[in-house]
Amino acid sequence: MGEVQKGLFSVIEKLKGTTEQELRIVLLGLDNAGKTTLLKQLASEDVNTITPTQGFNIKSVTCDGMKLNVWDIGGQRKIRPFWKKYLENTDLLIYVIDSADKKRFEETGLELSELIDEENLKGVPLLIFANKQDLATASPASEIAEGLNLHTYRDREWQIQACSAVSGEGVQDGMNWISNNIVNKKK
Amino acid sequence: MKVKQGCDAGVPYTTEEDLLNSPEITPEDVLGLQKITDNYLCGPEQNVHKIDFTRFKIRDMETGTVLFEITKPPTSETGEDRMDFEQNAGRFVRYQFTPAFLRLRQVGATVEFTVGDSPINNFRMIERHYFRGQLLKSFDFEFGFCIPSSKNTCEHIYEFPPLSEDIMREMILHPYETQSDSFYFVDNKLVMHNKADYSYNGGP
Repeated sequence: MGEVQKGLFSVIEKLKGTTEQELRIVLLGLDNAGKTTLLKQLASEDVNTITPTQGFNIKSVTCDGMKLNVWDIGGQRKIRPFWKKYLENTDLLIYVIDSADKKRFEETGLELSELIDEENLKGVPLLIFANKQDLATASPASEIAEGLNLHTYRDREWQIQACSAVSGEGVQDGMNWISNNIVNKKK
Repeated sequence: MKVKQGCDAGVPYTTEEDLLNSPEITPEDVLGLQKITDNYLCGPEQNVHKIDFTRFKIRDMETGTVLFEITKPPTSETGEDRMDFEQNAGRFVRYQFTPAFLRLRQVGATVEFTVGDSPINNFRMIERHYFRGQLLKSFDFEFGFCIPSSKNTCEHIYEFPPLSEDIMREMILHPYETQSDSFYFVDNKLVMHNKADYSYNGGP
């Protein structure tokens, strides 16, 4: 038996059984939601020294002719108008929320609903990470799902996953959802 | 017309001489090259978008060990320290590894770059690694749009191409004969050309 793959490698492992050669994932969310920490966690990289993203961070994994490209785009207000430049040919949107920052739930909800209406994201599956669950003040994923009215999203596959990008808890569950619900559908 | 087989099958052969005489160099042109170039195919003055490579890092994916990292020091306000700066210093990197590097299974190679105060559309990187006349690997990545005044990173995580014992031995015995060309295009026009070479004998 081969070793169990984690993070991005578990997704590309699943890609091998499909006709798909390339998968593009875009990682969005407000500034300080934890997008870059999540990306580094997914790529087995040290998460201790992270600065605000002023542009993009990409992890491009190539394995057995398959390619997985994950784009983490900065979430500061001045950068958000550029998000739409990165949405073309997206196979999956990962949206990251700081579950402990209740003051910004409305703002993050507005940004998400605008994204969902983008032509380039029509029908694109959505994985929401309710991040920072390691903080005592974090709202549970179910509460966030309700506040975001996720139950009204009927035009796409979606999942909300509680996680802590810093500790890695819950992150692999999200990757498993991608593998089982998104990659498998491409077979 | 001669057409390549293998790595970039179907791409017509090109020579460095052809390209040096060409008014504009396209991605297809460099994909047709058979070996490392002896010269830079464009000058620093063609970097009108002010793309600046500020960090290079290589890590072993199995252990997480950082094997190589180099960060460009920030430019001084006056720019005085650039006066006697060798013209190619900003676009050449020398990597030094031990022989064990060639036996790694999977590595992550990160580049960090900044862009000037104008947005860039259709930014693309093609990187080609050779040992003598043999193409070891070729990356082709489309960044697409770059946000003005942004700092960006890209890590390519890839499995090492299978190398024969003979080639590995030769690569170790002949430091810096393993070389790479990195070509950068905006709107399918070459705007930047960086080079690197590699030693695997553990020494300077």
